[in-house]
Amino acid sequence: MTRERILQAAGLILVGFFAIFPFVYTANDYPFVMHVLTACFFYAVLASSWSMLAGYAGQFSFGHMGFTGIGAYTTALFCHYFYLSPVPTELCTEFQFGDQYLVVVDAIGVTSSTLTQDCLRQAMTIWNGSVEITPMPVWLGITLGTLMGGLFGLLIGLLVLPLRAAYLALFTLGFSEILRAAISAEIAITRGQAGIELPYLFDAGITLFGHHFDKTDKLPPYFVMLFLLLACLAIMVWLAKSKFGLFVRALREDQDAAAALGVNTTRYKILVFVLTSMMAAAAGAVMAHYIRIITPNNLMILQMSLVVAMAVIGGVESVVAAAIGAIAINFVLELLRNSFEIGPIEVDMTIWRLVVFGVLLMITLRFFRNGLIAPAINYFLRGHVAAETVAKRTAAMGDAEAET
Amino acid sequence: MTNLVVHDLNKRFGGLHVLKDVNFEIDGPELIGLIGPNGAGKTTMTNILDGAIKPNSGTVYLNGQRIDQLQPYEVARAGLGRTFQVTRSFRRMTVLENLYVPSLALDNVANKAELEEKSIEVLEFLTMDHLRNEFAQALSGGQQKLLELGRLLMLNAEVIILDEPFAGVHPRLMDIIYKYIDRVNKDGTAIILISHQMDSIFTLCRRLLVLNNGDLIADGLPDDVKRDPDVIEAYLGVEDEDDGPPPARAPDQPEA
Repeated sequence: MTRERILQAAGLILVGFFAIFPFVYTANDYPFVMHVLTACFFYAVLASSWSMLAGYAGQFSFGHMGFTGIGAYTTALFCHYFYLSPVPTELCTEFQFGDQYLVVVDAIGVTSSTLTQDCLRQAMTIWNGSVEITPMPVWLGITLGTLMGGLFGLLIGLLVLPLRAAYLALFTLGFSEILRAAISAEIAITRGQAGIELPYLFDAGITLFGHHFDKTDKLPPYFVMLFLLLACLAIMVWLAKSKFGLFVRALREDQDAAAALGVNTTRYKILVFVLTSMMAAAAGAVMAHYIRIITPNNLMILQMSLVVAMAVIGGVESVVAAAIGAIAINFVLELLRNSFEIGPIEVDMTIWRLVVFGVLLMITLRFFRNGLIAPAINYFLRGHVAAETVAKRTAAMGDAEAET
Repeated sequence: MTNLVVHDLNKRFGGLHVLKDVNFEIDGPELIGLIGPNGAGKTTMTNILDGAIKPNSGTVYLNGQRIDQLQPYEVARAGLGRTFQVTRSFRRMTVLENLYVPSLALDNVANKAELEEKSIEVLEFLTMDHLRNEFAQALSGGQQKLLELGRLLMLNAEVIILDEPFAGVHPRLMDIIYKYIDRVNKDGTAIILISHQMDSIFTLCRRLLVLNNGDLIADGLPDDVKRDPDVIEAYLGVEDEDDGPPPARAPDQPEA
């Protein structure tokens, strides 16, 4: 029990550190460090939710980045194409809602670089500033993105039901690549490789702790992403300790045996897909509003392997270890960008850092199958088990001798 | 009262007719041996009863409920449990967690305390109490077999099928499995015991079913089955050393 307390205290200290860091750190590279940490939290959500899917439930999906993209593109398209206007444009498709009109902007693809050709801009030119249109709230876009992620998670979960191991990995890889190709190809709507721009997370800025933060300030997105990470971790840790966690691990160990013991394996397999897809989609949507542009390249398989590697190095069978692994690795990867010279040789670390990362991954896989962070956590949670087993057996043998 | 009715069961795998019009009925807490040479259809029968595979024709009713078209988890909830020929414990889960799975899946305990109490009672019966927090993969092969039997106890099933529970098990553990079968049976659970160890079958079972090439060639008291000419022919006619001694030469009395 005391060991578990130490672990809880360490967790609280870590959370406390990230909570007060933005207020005590004052160096010149403040915006850079804040940006890196926000990205760290983003990857931590992805790595930990992937570890729930792959490490707990044994579903080695390579489609996780695809769900991130679904979240990001849903909110991007929503914010790009839907507006509220008090008067009808007479040019766009529009629906009346009370005293407002929901305006659906027509898709004109990347040719709209002048931003004056779509129906809404034309209407605004005619209005000449006399009418103020309202963009869709960002939080609604993020919510829709999260729900859309869950919907696709349900679909993929249903489709992969009979698939196991390598077949599941290939299937989900295919899904992710098809999604990327489709987004690239559908230029008229998604603007293809040109990417689609998103509004700021807080377009009007936000007042926190009695201080007004501008829309470009790093602190509000930092806390949104940190909060998202903590919320996801709290949900997953709670689920892992509940019946859900027990059943999905049984599913991982032996699907047929679990079913023979009364576990509705279909239901839990789909549930774990829906849940983790929603988390990936939420993280993708928030990140997209922070970066403010999303392109199909964000879904590339390279990104997916980065997330997988982070989870593996942290420890794939613990959501917390995977999250810590992702934060540490992304932070170090960014710090390693600084090139240096050894005598006459210049070492270009922007490229070599990935080699360092690859070597670390290989060493982990070969020598630390359960990752680098998870064993430390397990030491606190399970370190006493072996001693207890021996003590119990000794006691039992003592009883047996006393009886004879 | 437990009642399992298997009616005209047929199963084909491609050109192989693995089960041919199999009929039998179990009434009450019987202890039945299911024997037959390798490839006779014993495991296929188990998989059909458990819902893992569907028959081509025929029906299975458990206490009036048709179960042959249900999913395995629904069959388990209806009251039929099974072990596997090759042990299938949840290896990277603790011994206690292995026992929790069926109980929580069937929701047959009121609270956490009752669950723990029941699990520990099962582990004490199986003499594995000291291993409760170890991962199942740390257990010996025999202990993993016991663990699988323990999980079945947690299921509170009305009919259980034990597929080769004695294969590769040390005599000391064998005693525990004997006690287990005795206890479960006395608690009112019907048991179908699949084994190639004729000693055990003849010691424990009061009724035998004999499968050969998908046909149920005998169903009756062990002594009658032993003298059945079809059974003798099936066993003597097939040269398969794995099948143990033919029943005609099996000892009438168990070893001490």
